[in-house]
Amino acid sequence: MALIELREVSKLFGFGEATTLALDEVDLTVEKGEFLAIMGPSGCGKTTLMNIIGLLDRPTHGTFLIDAKDASRLRPNRQAKLRRDRIGFVFQFYNLLPRLNVLNNVALPLAYRGMTPVRRLKRASDMLELVGLRDREYFYPKHLSGGQIQRAAIARALINNPSIIIADEPTGNLDSHDSKVLMELLADIHRQGNTILMVTHNPELTRYASRVIYMRDGTIVEDESTSIGAVAKGALRTYLRKRKTTEEDTLAGVSALLKDVPGKAMAKGPKRRLPKKVFKKRSRRRARRKVKH
Amino acid sequence: MWSGNLKTAIASLRSAKWRSLLTMLGIIIGVSSVVTVVSLGEGLKQQVVGQIHTLGSDVLTVRPGKLVSDGSARQSLNLLAFLSTSTLSEQDVSTIAKLPQVSTTVPVNFVTNSAAAGGLQLDNVSVLGTDAQLNDLLRPKMDSGAFFTKENANDNVAVIGSTIAAQLYSGSNPLGHPISVLGRDFIIRGVFAPSAGGLVTIQQSDLNSTVFLPFGPAKSLVDNRTNISQILIKVKPGVNPDTAVAEIRKVLLQNRGGSEDFSVLKQQQLLELTGKVVNKATGFVTGLAAVALLVGGIGVMDIMLVSVSERTREIGIRKAIGATNRQILGQFLTEGLVLTIGGGFIGILVSLMIFGFLRLYTGLEPVINVSVMLLAVSVSIAVGIIFSVVPALKAARKHPIDALRG
Repeated sequence: MALIELREVSKLFGFGEATTLALDEVDLTVEKGEFLAIMGPSGCGKTTLMNIIGLLDRPTHGTFLIDAKDASRLRPNRQAKLRRDRIGFVFQFYNLLPRLNVLNNVALPLAYRGMTPVRRLKRASDMLELVGLRDREYFYPKHLSGGQIQRAAIARALINNPSIIIADEPTGNLDSHDSKVLMELLADIHRQGNTILMVTHNPELTRYASRVIYMRDGTIVEDESTSIGAVAKGALRTYLRKRKTTEEDTLAGVSALLKDVPGKAMAKGPKRRLPKKVFKKRSRRRARRKVKH
Repeated sequence: MWSGNLKTAIASLRSAKWRSLLTMLGIIIGVSSVVTVVSLGEGLKQQVVGQIHTLGSDVLTVRPGKLVSDGSARQSLNLLAFLSTSTLSEQDVSTIAKLPQVSTTVPVNFVTNSAAAGGLQLDNVSVLGTDAQLNDLLRPKMDSGAFFTKENANDNVAVIGSTIAAQLYSGSNPLGHPISVLGRDFIIRGVFAPSAGGLVTIQQSDLNSTVFLPFGPAKSLVDNRTNISQILIKVKPGVNPDTAVAEIRKVLLQNRGGSEDFSVLKQQQLLELTGKVVNKATGFVTGLAAVALLVGGIGVMDIMLVSVSERTREIGIRKAIGATNRQILGQFLTEGLVLTIGGGFIGILVSLMIFGFLRLYTGLEPVINVSVMLLAVSVSIAVGIIFSVVPALKAARKHPIDALRG
């Protein structure tokens, strides 16, 4: 039985002329214990997909099952409880509440579960030990570094023993050292049998993943199982495509980085390598809709 | 969860100290003014009631002005009648005195409101002409001397209140000294012991600042005109006060050919009437104070709305980690309640301080009434709930995604 199953999930934003299709009949199955990395240019629907799996948003069409039970049409309160008990979030920014200290931040999900203060603080303390922040329990978020904040956020995400951990660009805000520490932590958690869904722009991070999916314009264009420790092949291509600034560019005052803005870079490169079927289907759709970005 | 909400609420209110304090100020002013006004009214009522009780239940009062009855059991006195010239005459007094049910009849005739002695003049006293028998009805405590008797009926003598004695004779015993009323000297025969303040009953005045003169000489001061503000009547033992009231009403109606411009009151009615007058006044002022409370409540709502939109992202994070709508609602409701209940308690403290000042520097004696304070606190709780519900609902209904982006 699959842990997560999406069947033809679509998500529309806006009304009338301004309608955009963020997800276009996405089918996805995630088994327990997978470390799934999701890559793709900005606006391709990665975050929307994460929000739907994380029960923060509802799909416009299609069904979304957790443990073979439909979770997409539940009432808000049931969804909140499911979020509390089954899903842990790590966001890119502003993870912790600034007015609570680290310990209380980590214990917060347990408070919403109705656990007594002593028990929940003890458990939060144990969890902080796990992420190496025991000595920062009574610090406030403003006194912590970005990496420490993200580690505390992971402790909070783990505290309810969730079956799914959703990390939306968890390293997007960190330097390479902090990123490495954080990813090693996530890898540890994965080794203990947890299921992790991570959105990332950084191909390097696919080393930690057991499976990588690539999205574009609201659809999954490639699904690749990788061995842990190696950069995914699809992600590798983003390296190959990386241009160097040519003489003409310098004269025109354009940097290669600017040219390499995700969406555009992807438009060349892997497009030709797409399976023919997918490509045709997508271009047909493209003709009748306005793309979000 | 509840204690968690409380902690969060206090923490978030403390993070914006000045704003919280200013918001509370509205509630503080509202609650303290309601409590002060109601307690003052209560104190006033108790003083009046205390005085009326000293008269005893077999004493009837005739007052000018008609008691207005609106068909139901409720009655109220035409307040204007108190201010105009009296419609009661000496003839009325003698007619009542002849009735078989009546044992004592005492007229109270208002003469003037100024008296002088030794070059000093007081303009805030009541000079009343009355009968020696008033002594039997009022049984006032005397500080020195005695009330005048029947034998003094034509003498120029006076009995004065303790405040007047203190102000005009500054410490020395005024017995035997003259007091000048409208240019004529009266010899002081007695001084009342200080009474516990109070007002009304005898021509809306306090016994402490009253000068009693014998009826005849008092009348001659103002060209034999009378302005009888009330007639006190003691019913004979064994006579039902109701039959006496009916009899008195009948003879007074005969005296004036059927036009009813007076009212005969039992003590109970008098109590109710004064209570009603005080209630009306306090009710009006309480209404004004309640408006202050309402404005304070709107201030709370205002600040809560600002707080909700400021903390959109916090709401988003809380929802993402599993807070239900009800839990978010609870959090913001608690915050509003902490503001208003805190304001309520501070308001009560402020009103207690006001009571202290009033007792020290004025003659008013507010009664500290627990039920009023409970009412004020529960009103502030109600204000808290009513005016926090809208912002709290707004917070609870935020869509998690929009909140996280916000």
